[in-house]
Amino acid sequence: MDPLFTWTDFFVLKPAILLSLFGCGILLTDFLLKQGRWNALTALVGEGFVAVALWQHCEDVAANGQRFALGGSMAVDGFSVFFNYIFVVSAILAIIIASRYMDDEKSNRGEFYGLMLFAQAGMTVMAQGYELVTLFIGLELMALSFYVMVGFLRNELRSNEAAMKYLILGALSSGFLAYGFSIFYGISGSTNLAAIADAVAGREISDPVLLIALVTTSVGLFFKISVVPFHMWAPDAYEGAPTPITAYVSVASKAASFAMMMRIFLVPLVSVQELWMPLFGAVALLTMTLGNIAALTQNNLKRLLAYSSISHAGYILLGLAAGNETGLKGISLYILVYIFMNFGVFALISAMRREGHAAEDIDDLNGLMHRHPGYAILMLVLLLSLAGIPPMAGFYGKYFIFLGLLEAGSYLLAIAGALYVAVSAYYYFRIVRAMFLSESLEPAVIAPGLGTKIALVASAVFTLLIGLYPEPFINMATDSILLALR
Amino acid sequence: MPVTHYLVLSMALLIIGTVGVLTRRNIIVILMSIELILNAVNINLVAFSDYLQNINGQVFTIFVITDAAAEAAVGLGILIALFRNKETVHADEIDILRW
Amino acid sequence: MKEHILSIVWLTPLVGMFILLLLPKENKQLIRIVANLAAFAGFLVSLPLVFWFDNSIADYQFVERVSWIPALGVEYYLGIDGISLLLIMLTTVVGFLSILSSWTAIEERVKEYYAFFLFLQAGMLGVFMALDLFLFYVFWEIMLVPMYFIIGIWGHARRLYAAIKFFLYTLAGSVLMLLAMLALYFKHAEQFGVYTFAIEDLMRTQVPLDMQIWLFWGFFIAFAIKVPMFPLHTWLPDAHTEAPTAGSVILAGVLLKMGLYGLVRFSIPLLPEAASDATTVQIIAVLSIIAIVYGALVSLMQKNWKKLIAYSSVSHLGFCTLGIIALNPNGIAGGILQGLNHGLSTPLLFLVIGIVYEQRHALEIADYGGLANRMPIYTTIFLISILASMGMPGLNGFIGEFTILRGAFERDVTWAAFAVLGIVLGAAYLLWLFQRTMLGPMTNPKNEILRDLNLREICVMAPLVLWCFWIGLYPKQHFAVLEKPVARIVERVDPEYYSRNGIPNPLTDGVRVASLVQD
Repeated sequence: MDPLFTWTDFFVLKPAILLSLFGCGILLTDFLLKQGRWNALTALVGEGFVAVALWQHCEDVAANGQRFALGGSMAVDGFSVFFNYIFVVSAILAIIIASRYMDDEKSNRGEFYGLMLFAQAGMTVMAQGYELVTLFIGLELMALSFYVMVGFLRNELRSNEAAMKYLILGALSSGFLAYGFSIFYGISGSTNLAAIADAVAGREISDPVLLIALVTTSVGLFFKISVVPFHMWAPDAYEGAPTPITAYVSVASKAASFAMMMRIFLVPLVSVQELWMPLFGAVALLTMTLGNIAALTQNNLKRLLAYSSISHAGYILLGLAAGNETGLKGISLYILVYIFMNFGVFALISAMRREGHAAEDIDDLNGLMHRHPGYAILMLVLLLSLAGIPPMAGFYGKYFIFLGLLEAGSYLLAIAGALYVAVSAYYYFRIVRAMFLSESLEPAVIAPGLGTKIALVASAVFTLLIGLYPEPFINMATDSILLALR
Repeated sequence: MPVTHYLVLSMALLIIGTVGVLTRRNIIVILMSIELILNAVNINLVAFSDYLQNINGQVFTIFVITDAAAEAAVGLGILIALFRNKETVHADEIDILRW
Repeated sequence: MKEHILSIVWLTPLVGMFILLLLPKENKQLIRIVANLAAFAGFLVSLPLVFWFDNSIADYQFVERVSWIPALGVEYYLGIDGISLLLIMLTTVVGFLSILSSWTAIEERVKEYYAFFLFLQAGMLGVFMALDLFLFYVFWEIMLVPMYFIIGIWGHARRLYAAIKFFLYTLAGSVLMLLAMLALYFKHAEQFGVYTFAIEDLMRTQVPLDMQIWLFWGFFIAFAIKVPMFPLHTWLPDAHTEAPTAGSVILAGVLLKMGLYGLVRFSIPLLPEAASDATTVQIIAVLSIIAIVYGALVSLMQKNWKKLIAYSSVSHLGFCTLGIIALNPNGIAGGILQGLNHGLSTPLLFLVIGIVYEQRHALEIADYGGLANRMPIYTTIFLISILASMGMPGLNGFIGEFTILRGAFERDVTWAAFAVLGIVLGAAYLLWLFQRTMLGPMTNPKNEILRDLNLREICVMAPLVLWCFWIGLYPKQHFAVLEKPVARIVERVDPEYYSRNGIPNPLTDGVRVASLVQD
């Protein structure tokens, strides 16, 4: 019999192990030393270790290709490495934004960073998992940490409310997902994705049991990526959560859920593609419609961005609806650029102040160009990117998605997606208008800490850099999907 | 007993749970409804495990139970924080953010 | 130097912009000087193009071709032919003059203003040079952003509305173009196994007719919005009316030409069968005729001076599209030349308005009258630009309209008849405008404060006036520049054209100037 735990297993699990260790370490040192300011630094050191571990993964993938461990329940491949890097980058950005913000909110405690790392550990498991129980545990670890982080401002009713709503709908969706998983287990007698793939391929496409499994799993995942009609938690959770967490949820949790979705739909369910592709297309269309239209009238920036992120989820889902290599490449690249543009915008929001309090309305940005021209221009770059105007990074995600749709012959979806770009430009330009065109007697005040400054500048620079020289990033996205999915 | 009976039961539980989450207004009851859904999952898993003579399903069940416990703990914790700020457990009265 | 001249031309304004950004924003005078120098430098570096350009070469000249994004097959691929040459020169001249014209008009946020203008300039030049569709699209889109700000920050009362309307209209059109581009790109890759956006490679793609028609309309909507063609023109009056003077100048002078340029550079050569399809031609011709007549009639009824000129643009650009869709050498050459003419005379008209607006802050025609008494030089220039615009022989408009009419006549007599009606109406609204504003007694005492042109303002207008006379009196060089590229387009849509009509083919039979002056 195989040994229970080998070095390969350790190697594969290393990012998750490191994250959990550092998470626990932060809790412990915070309790023992009562030195709040070291927590963020410890977390960053942890991210550094994880990055090194991922680099080793990367080397390993280059040498050996896809590799499994723990009895086939975890994998290391280009896909997992790509997504793990995305989680690392977004966690780093979230940490450096958070330290100042949480200080201002007087809630800068160790648990916060510990939870961030735990959530990330869950995400790495979601990206690497190749088996239903593992994926489910990863998802729940991430989700539970996020429920707490969203409600972290304990004394603020808004934050409590957001957490409550997020928890109820999140738990409901986990229930559906688990139900779908249980039926997959029933179909195949195994929880391994490859084994399920064989079982599914052997079934009739019109099998009702399969359909129930497919629908419940989809519903569960649709909640997590916040697409219509399962999006209603997102605006509330985004508005109520502390801003760094809003950014983290909107980017990392969505990326992890998409990673898990791609694994599930492209490995076990690839043989019933014609069943879920139209479903995804329809959901994506609804999502873009509702997200874009609801965003038009929002006055709270975080809420506006919540709806915008719903519509972005619609675009990303279109990549799966296209179902071809170009579309999948589009998903990876879209998520990659989405980190930077979204985090940049949230970094700025986290630094907005009015009379000493956090300010979050579009009007609070009035006249930003007068007082802080630099920030206004960085923000312009990010917003143009979100709107998908070339040569900003955001354009390339849409480029691949549209190309994938055209290759698949889904012309109507492509046209709808393209026209919604113009709609989305309208609400992004409401923000631009406030910053550049509105004359305000009392110009906006932005008070970023050092970390926020770094996050903002880095995000904008990367957004522009990827836009002007996307070659290496496109190759990364290509590598990410080549090995992983069959 | 054939496995379909269990499946019908679990399906019923799933539907009852979902309806409960969507219609009930007391957050405690909503959390209980979510437990029902997770128990539907457990019944499924154990039934399949028995039917297929395969232990994986029961392992999965243990994990789901653990997860349900964690979820309830976090949920109640958040509810207590909420209750401290606004003395209510009714979902309709939680309305600063638009639902 | 010669092999990188195109990059130098479009990067010069951009470099100027970065220098500008380094200056302190309080020192307005310094900013003005630097911005004007940068724009003038932009003009100077474009001058060698005129001298080095070789009319006898049918292919693209000054080509620069470097791989940019190999993963997508995107190249940094620049090159120009005669059509681009004329439009690039128009851009550098009008761009510089519009910057020069804003010396006193802009007092607030001066630094941003000039920075956006120089950025816009770089984007527009890029559009006319790009031979890679992707690169073209990048320039095409990014140029919207500075224009949005120019209208939105320094415009008149309803500027916010006008700016976002301009932006969204154009964006909606261009995303459809993006889809058409991608579909063509994919089709090409399917057939040749190579991903590329270079237009001469894409031209080799075999596209079935029904798909061609879809793609054609995808491209067409983007370009028609920019031109703007009849049902899609509604953004133009708002944008023109609300934009600051220099913004209107650049909008009328250069931005609208991008639509025409897109038609002749991309739509027609890439999808020749769709373009020469009888239904397509009919639809576009009818829309052009509606634009000509409708634009003219609406102009007749305008009370607002700027809006009148805006609608006159709709009418004039209708001529251009009508000529182009005639798809014969006269029509296309006339269409492009008329585009250039419009780019000279309409900026003049807007500059003229700008000068009185700066002093009086009124745009209603009724506010003025009898200005000829106080402002003789001003009135003369206004008269010249009106005559140029309405097609007076001896001025540029006549040459353009006449060539278009010949092209249209060759295709269909009724087209020509409607176009003539448009010319008559054009004369009516322009001369009536002149009469109401310049002639008669000066009734409004507020106009007493108006002064005549100063030296800077004369310098702004003189080059445009001279160019108008140049085309009007001796258009030969312009036709010579256009001959080969136009022949290439005609060859694409109708390879038999020259042999069928017994006309020597400029591509094979050496240089021959196809102009009314010559034959």
